[in-house]
Amino acid sequence: MKLVNLMKGHGDDMRDMRRCRTKKMSAILMVAVLTMASMNGCSSKKETTKTNQTNQTTEATTTSPEGTTAADTSEAGVMSNEEIIKQAASEGKVGNWGLGNEYEIQALLTKYGQPITYLSQAFDMDGFDDDSISLASAMTFNELGLVKNSYDGGYNYGNTVGTIDMNEEGVAMLEDNIFCTKAFAMANPNTVKAFIYASMQGWKYACENPEEAAEIVYKYGSSVSPDHQAYMASEVKKLVETDMQGSAVTELGKMDEAAMQQTLQLAQQYIQLDDATAADKLSKLTLDDVRDTSYWEAAASSTDGKFGDLEKTDVTIQLKWLPQAQFMGYYVALEKGYYKEVGLNVDVVSGGGDISETTAVSNGTVDFGVTWLANLIAANAGGMDLLEVSQVYQRSGLVLVYKLDTFTK
Amino acid sequence: MIKRKKNVFVRFITNPKVQPFLSVILPVALGLFIFILWQTQVLHKLLHTDTFTLPLPSQINQIIGDNIPKIITNVKSTVLVAVIGLTIGSLIGYLIAVIATVFPKWGAGGLSIVAAFNAIPIVALAPVMTNWTKDVSKDASVRSMVAKILVVMIVSIATMSVNAYRGLNDLPVFSLDLMKSYAAKRRIVFLKLRLPNSVPYIFTALRVGVPSSVISAIVSEYFAEYITGVGRQIRENIVIAQYATAWAYIAVACIIGISMYCILMIFEGILLRNRRS
Repeated sequence: MKLVNLMKGHGDDMRDMRRCRTKKMSAILMVAVLTMASMNGCSSKKETTKTNQTNQTTEATTTSPEGTTAADTSEAGVMSNEEIIKQAASEGKVGNWGLGNEYEIQALLTKYGQPITYLSQAFDMDGFDDDSISLASAMTFNELGLVKNSYDGGYNYGNTVGTIDMNEEGVAMLEDNIFCTKAFAMANPNTVKAFIYASMQGWKYACENPEEAAEIVYKYGSSVSPDHQAYMASEVKKLVETDMQGSAVTELGKMDEAAMQQTLQLAQQYIQLDDATAADKLSKLTLDDVRDTSYWEAAASSTDGKFGDLEKTDVTIQLKWLPQAQFMGYYVALEKGYYKEVGLNVDVVSGGGDISETTAVSNGTVDFGVTWLANLIAANAGGMDLLEVSQVYQRSGLVLVYKLDTFTK
Repeated sequence: MIKRKKNVFVRFITNPKVQPFLSVILPVALGLFIFILWQTQVLHKLLHTDTFTLPLPSQINQIIGDNIPKIITNVKSTVLVAVIGLTIGSLIGYLIAVIATVFPKWGAGGLSIVAAFNAIPIVALAPVMTNWTKDVSKDASVRSMVAKILVVMIVSIATMSVNAYRGLNDLPVFSLDLMKSYAAKRRIVFLKLRLPNSVPYIFTALRVGVPSSVISAIVSEYFAEYITGVGRQIRENIVIAQYATAWAYIAVACIIGISMYCILMIFEGILLRNRRS
């Protein structure tokens, strides 16, 4: 009996061990399969994108000889802006990031009698690349460069894309400016003037030497490649030095009355606020509620940057987005010591994603901010007391980009 | 021994007939107290904030009242995503738990993989789902809906499968032995013992699942292509510095969560009435 028991026990042990081993084996097998599957998935995806890209490059190179005759092929083949917008809107494939960046697009859609709905576009151009958005929003200095160029992060479409310019369509709104709270401007007038003076010196140098400016920005921390930074600097220069009509601007940072008025009027038309008191306030806003030209005028007429005693010497500026050549003037002023020369100690705070620059300035986290005029108007309607003191970008950098072959007749 | 007479207040509080009411009244009173502090701006002084960042309840109410049709369309899309996602996710989760119970060897491992899904942040999941569902439909509203439902589904699968697995396996002591002594087949054990035993656990999972499905629906709306929903409105309004409106939608989101939870409680009360002694 005992022996039998012992034998049985031994048998159980053996079976347990065997079961354990099979368990282990199956676990290892499963892990192996999973890793293989995931590796395989990654590599195959990479391959397809690669082949895609090579396809595009060959396409681009084959079309480049035709590129010289692009002007007349576009007349024959590609639709007019109106037809493109109507087709894209009817398919519901107009894209924008929303979050206060959509008003120009809505104004354009209204201009051609289309509903003002749009698709939410991510902060990359993948939606445009895979055709889920056929008419995508792009900033000339950023997304458009990524779409066209082949450098790191680019989509390499070359000359196979066309654009619709907000300035030419007459629905342009002013973008990057410098602002602070009214209270801050009142309490620190000399600081504000000195800050504008030094910043504009930075912008002037940056526009004269865009390549160097791009390198400086890249040094201060960059979200994008040096190539893209250089492209961005050259495009931003155009926005700073040209106005909405396309004529040259010599006085950097000036607040053009007509352009400001157009922006305010479009903002009042397209910013939709659910808060009745805010909506009422928005409809009653005038330019005097959102900007004060006196600080910039004082800065522009100064030759030496001396504005008497500075009320505050340590100041901060909140950017609207990640560190990039869009804000090269401030980085150049920092690097070249222009801020130091006027007696300011400036800290440039980069933004990004959902960081609300208007809130940061309003609650005193930072002293100055860079935002779009329309966002400042919305914030003031909502109860903030912000003041634009300089308008850096003189024309809209927003375009709608489309693939030429999507909109050929 | 002389029994000392307790005073009226203590007798009132300890009265078993009054206690259920007190458990409702006290939290409500606390809520009301905070509400009054908020409206009278004492709360603002305590938190060192202003009525701009933290608008008064009266203003929030005003905005909700002014925009009821718009709010209803947004609520509809959010609730639809949350409910469909939760339903499909819970069904799949329960199915996984059943499979794990039937094949215990594989089950435990499989469940831990499913539970690992629970650790994926929704913020990471939502953009991925938006990209994955690009080919689902030509209509952006449809494919966005699918993407959002997938996010909610994945979140609900994990909670349901883990809880249901416990319900199917944490059986009353000796009940399994009893069933064996009756020579019951596995199918019978499953139907008569495991399945009924798992019902309370399903509700435990849903109690966690309902609020998390609303949260997932709201967060996934941030990344969806088609612009709709309570979450999207919160984001839009915060970015363009309309805090009062954003708070109005936050309040709406709270109401959605609370009312869905209440509906669940009512269902639970009806279905589990006989179980509570």
